[in-house]
Amino acid sequence: MQNIAERYTGASVKRSEDPRILTGTGCYVDDVRLPGMLHAAFVRSPSAHARITGVDVTEARKLPGVIAVLTGEELDALTVRGPGAAGMFSAGLPMPSFSVLATDKVRLVGDPVVLVVAESRYLAEDACELVVVDYEELPAVITQEQALDPAGPPIFEDLGSNVLVRSPVATFGDVEGAFARADRVVRAELRQHRHQNVPMECRGVVCSFDLGSGELTVYSATQGVHIARTGFATQLDMPLEKVRVLAGDIGGSFGLKLGAAREDIACAAASRRLGRPIRWIEDRSENLTASGQARDESFEVEAAISNEGHILGLRVKMIIDTGAYPGLGGMLPEAVKGMIPGPYKIGALSFESTAVITNKASYVAYRGPWASETWVRERMIDLIAKELAMEPLEVRLRNVVTRGEPPLQMLTGRSLVGVTSRESLDRIAALVDVEAFRRRQAEARAQGRYLGLGLATYIEAAPGPRTPGGGGGIMGPEQMRLRLEEDGTVTVFTSQMPHGQSHQTTLAQIAADEFGVPFDQVRVVVGDTDVVPMGFGTGGSRSATMAGGVSLHGARALRAKVFEVAAHLFEASPEDMDLAAGAVSVRGVPARAVPLGEIARAAHEPGRVPRDLEGDLEVTAEYDGGEGGWAGGTHAAIVEVDVETGQVRIERYLVAEDCGVLINPAIVEGQVRGGVAQGIGAVLLERSAYDPDSGQYLSSTFMDYLIPTACEIPRIEIEHLETVPLDADVNFRGVGEGGMIIAPPTLCNAIEDALSPMGVRVTEQHLPPCRILELIGAIALDP
Amino acid sequence: MSTFDVELTVNGTPRQGSVEPRRTLADFLREDLGLTGTHLGCEHGVCGACTVLVNGEPARSCLMLAVQARGADILTVEGLANNGVMNPLQQAMWESHGFQCGFCTPGFLMQITALLVENPNPGEEEIREALSGNLCRCTGYESIVNGVLRAAGHDGSPPEPRH
Repeated sequence: MQNIAERYTGASVKRSEDPRILTGTGCYVDDVRLPGMLHAAFVRSPSAHARITGVDVTEARKLPGVIAVLTGEELDALTVRGPGAAGMFSAGLPMPSFSVLATDKVRLVGDPVVLVVAESRYLAEDACELVVVDYEELPAVITQEQALDPAGPPIFEDLGSNVLVRSPVATFGDVEGAFARADRVVRAELRQHRHQNVPMECRGVVCSFDLGSGELTVYSATQGVHIARTGFATQLDMPLEKVRVLAGDIGGSFGLKLGAAREDIACAAASRRLGRPIRWIEDRSENLTASGQARDESFEVEAAISNEGHILGLRVKMIIDTGAYPGLGGMLPEAVKGMIPGPYKIGALSFESTAVITNKASYVAYRGPWASETWVRERMIDLIAKELAMEPLEVRLRNVVTRGEPPLQMLTGRSLVGVTSRESLDRIAALVDVEAFRRRQAEARAQGRYLGLGLATYIEAAPGPRTPGGGGGIMGPEQMRLRLEEDGTVTVFTSQMPHGQSHQTTLAQIAADEFGVPFDQVRVVVGDTDVVPMGFGTGGSRSATMAGGVSLHGARALRAKVFEVAAHLFEASPEDMDLAAGAVSVRGVPARAVPLGEIARAAHEPGRVPRDLEGDLEVTAEYDGGEGGWAGGTHAAIVEVDVETGQVRIERYLVAEDCGVLINPAIVEGQVRGGVAQGIGAVLLERSAYDPDSGQYLSSTFMDYLIPTACEIPRIEIEHLETVPLDADVNFRGVGEGGMIIAPPTLCNAIEDALSPMGVRVTEQHLPPCRILELIGAIALDP
Repeated sequence: MSTFDVELTVNGTPRQGSVEPRRTLADFLREDLGLTGTHLGCEHGVCGACTVLVNGEPARSCLMLAVQARGADILTVEGLANNGVMNPLQQAMWESHGFQCGFCTPGFLMQITALLVENPNPGEEEIREALSGNLCRCTGYESIVNGVLRAAGHDGSPPEPRH
């Protein structure tokens, strides 16, 4: 291990990704060029819900430069029906059958119907214009109410209704007793609108089927190459071994680019049929309309409370709109149910949920997919505070768990060991000085200015504390291969698929420290199913613990193996080996040091080491998450609302967070700020809007779907709390999702506080200027 | 469709091609000249990822046709480094952890290049205003602003929070 003063872990090491990114020499999927490559474009549905009565591709096929026009029916014959890779999220749920492209009917605006393959993207889009599809319009199912109406037209006939799954009431603790004992009951209907991931790089794929070998190679922008490979193999009915998925630089994802999309499968099937590479790069209109959307949930909540502000019980009813094609949405209520108590001593809980299907874009993961648990809980706490005329901070402090005191367990089961929520609340209280703010707020109000303070607290199981007989957090253990090369460098093969998270830097920092080589002598290899170990990939804020942990333990194992080989060369004991300055020596005899590269060469040369050590100097390591632990924190926002324009200005935004031991503070803070920025966008700007009658999508450009610019996002003050180490070695915790989970309730709480003189009660999450003006009564309420 | 000859200078090198009149400058740079450092994020002129300098002025290469660039002097992200050595702006961004996924990066770098020519010592509000036509989904912009401040000769550390 490095001398502690020289450790890379904990330092804001400059990213190894940056030289290529800053010079324009990265390789994103749209930069892949293969000989003979063709270009794909899709004819998409203009309607939300319609029966396809005719598809005429005659004229399109005649256009010079067009190589193939494949209808939904033709592609259906070349592929296996869905859900494909999306099925991993839907185990045990009802699953309708659907084709790769639409055949019998279209189920959302932008549903792909016909694939055109041509010599250029320009020609492919020309040919799309020549395809004639006849539709018989069906009533669109857009709202939750429409979806729950048994008389409504079923979007999937084989399901019979638009209710995908209805989960019965689950109870924890004595709910009836809690409500009977309560001094008061606070009720609210809370609504979280549709968001979108909106990575700056849209989705994309280059598929190349080799007719000679029968192998498919796919270059994909994906969060995990192995899951993508499973998707392609499943829906093309090919053995896994015949499919190779490669990924290079990826321009963001935030949960969107998981598995193999329907368009990806269509391109792969077309490549197999034509024997030529095909590139499909989604354009922004397709991306905003049809790539996937998230967070369309409504809640009926009742809170039984005491006059002292204790939350005795919660009754929660959740409805989630999973969009058209089933995927992640159906299983999310289970996650919300499990997490809804958060770090609080809530006495009792009942929870029931319904997942519905609508004619909207399919539900995809988006940075903390279960985040509505935090939104609902933290909004309710502020409503409780308002009911009791208490400071919201005080209500939180009265209910949050205290380390070392029972009950240190969530009502729904998970241990809260090591949770630092109370410390984060205390820290934010000190940073903000709530009393001073209240005085300033009162003075400002006297001048007709409306300031508000909002705060909110969350925890995330990233990975969460070890569960009995479990371990590993979500999505299983993490593997890594590490190899000492003949030039003395260490190559790390990881299933992580970074798309902005900087794993090529952070995993190298950890491995360099633990193995004992300079940072720039560790190379992190990602994105090739032929060489990286099996694994989920990047998501769920699991990389820091899982990949960081396996990097640490793997580097330790590789060092031990290197010492074992070196010991043979020195005819000494492995325990006596020492590594310094890139060379191994017998401890105390540094003059006879052997460079690391020489040790790797020795292992490659027959006869120099025992047979069982001959070959690549390599180890495969696996890590189950160790003792794990919670990530979390408290955020606070001070806002000023202009009641003339409805504009919200964020005066201060503060973060007190605990993501365990920091691997690279600059990277951690980038993750926090980026997440907060998305949360600010979600509240003040972004909304995936549909016409409730026709189902037309209304946010298909960046003039309609507004993501924040440098002018809307303030500087964000971040404090890192001292964490509670639970594991002997690995106390890095995930930080990717937290900002996006907690910023929306933080901001909503601040806005409601600012507008409290007008009696405004915030029950939705989207608060653009027009909505603020409606809420304060300056303009008429949109019914 | 008929084609037109285009001659122009890209990153100091004379280049030429024959293009359909509808071909965008972005596609010409990326597909015909192989300069894939310029990225396409929206193709409707909002996100700014495709920003290049045309005769020193920032332009959205997705909204400009290749034929409109005849005779122009174009600078793309590939033209910033000198013989593989990053220029001071690129170095400053590296030091500041300016970017994450890197997709918006070329547009920001070109927009900032133009900003620093026009105003070598911009303040934070001027920087934010100048960059308000470039979208980044990863960073929350603070690290990018810090990178510009550092490139402009400030030490790159964030200013005191505004209270």
